[in-house]
Amino acid sequence: MSPTPKKTNPSSDVILEVKDLVQSYNGRAVLNGLNFKVRKGETFVIMGGSGCGKTTLLRILIGAQKPTSGSVHLFGEDITKASSQELDRIRLRFGMNFQFGALFQSMTVGENIALPLQEHSQVDPSLIEMIVKMKLELVGLTGFENFKPSELSGGMRKRVGLARALALDPELLFSDEPTSGLDPVMTAVVDQLTLDSTRKIGVTAVVVSHDMTSCFRIATHMLMLGNGPRQGEIIAEGTPDEIRANPDPFLQQFVRGEADGPIAFRLSQDDYLKHLLQEG
Amino acid sequence: MKFSFESLLNAGGSRLTYGLLNLRILGWILYGFTRPGILVPSQILSQVIRIGVQAIPMASLVSLSVGFILAMQSSTELGKMGADSFIPDLVSLSLMRELGPLLVAIIVVGRSGSAVAAELGTMKVNEEIEALRVMAIDPIRYLVVPRFIALMIMLPCMTIFGNCVGLVGGWAVCTLEMGMPSSFYIMRAMQRPELWDLFSGLIKTAVFAHIIITIACYQGLNVEGGAEGVGRATTSAVVYSILWIIIADTILTGLFYFVL
Ligand SMILES: Nc1ncnc2c1ncn2[C@@H]1O[C@H](COP(=O)(O)OP(=O)(O)OP(=O)(O)O)[C@@H](O)[C@H]1O
Ligand SMILES: [Mg+2]
Repeated sequence: MSPTPKKTNPSSDVILEVKDLVQSYNGRAVLNGLNFKVRKGETFVIMGGSGCGKTTLLRILIGAQKPTSGSVHLFGEDITKASSQELDRIRLRFGMNFQFGALFQSMTVGENIALPLQEHSQVDPSLIEMIVKMKLELVGLTGFENFKPSELSGGMRKRVGLARALALDPELLFSDEPTSGLDPVMTAVVDQLTLDSTRKIGVTAVVVSHDMTSCFRIATHMLMLGNGPRQGEIIAEGTPDEIRANPDPFLQQFVRGEADGPIAFRLSQDDYLKHLLQEG
Repeated sequence: MKFSFESLLNAGGSRLTYGLLNLRILGWILYGFTRPGILVPSQILSQVIRIGVQAIPMASLVSLSVGFILAMQSSTELGKMGADSFIPDLVSLSLMRELGPLLVAIIVVGRSGSAVAAELGTMKVNEEIEALRVMAIDPIRYLVVPRFIALMIMLPCMTIFGNCVGLVGGWAVCTLEMGMPSSFYIMRAMQRPELWDLFSGLIKTAVFAHIIITIACYQGLNVEGGAEGVGRATTSAVVYSILWIIIADTILTGLFYFVL
């Protein structure tokens, strides 16, 4: 055997590395010492209950917000310490699909998608128009170029957001709940789009989602954030098969979507009955 | 020590104080002259129309009324002393030096300053500003600078136009009501003011334009907390702009009066 293994150096294909990430608001730790790595070509799905800090985590990963402590290495550079110029350079390499679209309300759908191209590429306008059409076709919105975001439904807006995030053909795509609010068919379309981007074009995707069907359909790696009593910690991490096999009751409740269990959203039915009877 | 415009563009990092906003606007404008594509003429033009041209009817109406008022008010007093012939002087001097710049600025605060604060504030609440940043598009360059340049160009133009409309108001009162010959009014109104009278007014106008647009953008970009925050920012933009316009006016008038 050769003593110097060359190209299979595992750290070289790490695109995103999070170390000891802490985010607290007014002394309450929403994210509490997270550590994980995303490798090139993965579809990394972040799951977790509402309010567990998924959006907060994504905002930190894209450099929109500085964490309380910890570091985030994106393409090998620590974005928590990067200057604005360095950040801008890194930002050209990824796209972000916001939870609520964040579309420019004063612009049409077409202009929204064209903006990153106009600003960052030397492509001429007729070609930009063509790329816009292609991106809209990808998300099933052909013919909606001249609509304003306010004239679209919530699910349509999300898909425009996704098209805009993909406009510059990024190496890395962040997507905050791309399928919430979509019908089953559109969910499948958007999942297929993520799959095509990652498997065929080689895009790495970091997707936040709490739609389990969709998660298992697209993920190559999954991470579950805790909430309630386990707020801010990673409950489980691994391949979809490892997650299915993980016996953690918290995780299993989430994966199966059951109302009763360790996730303390409400009192359990027994406790609830006791609570009511005591009050009476 | 090496100084570059680039260092101004991101002065202060992610914080945005009023001073930093001014530094960054300055940085982008200087940078924009050295590199094409940074200042987009079509965007500046659309802002010229939205925050300048569309405010002209209102500014004209106010200027016209002020012309009427100045002529009527002064005619009572000056008439008693038989100094009717000074009315045109008074109308044109007060418009150029003081009332033209001040009133047009206040109209623009109410119409355009508030609109800019509300628009940027809504964009902030909708995460649109965040989306721009994530696309590596600087919101100051993309949103603030075109509005800044547009108002710095338009407010002086509107003030000059307003002055002319005000003079027409004065003329209407003097000729139609007091029977002054038109030629006499025009001669007095044009002859009396010196170039400096116009310039001193335009210096004020430039300062007012700077106050209006920077305060509106600053309030808009710093909105926190939903629709309520947008409302608060809009109110603050209007209140602070008017306050600072009056303070700046006092200081400048004092400067012109005592020093120059
Ligand atoms: N600016 C802020 N100030 C204080 N607390 C905040 C702030 N932003 C988020 N939080 C808190 O952080 C927690 C996580 O919020 P976040 O938006 O990240 O949740 P999420 O996991 O994306 O939820 P959802 O699935 O409903 O979108 C929430 O409890 C919220 O109250
Ligand atoms: Mg969220």
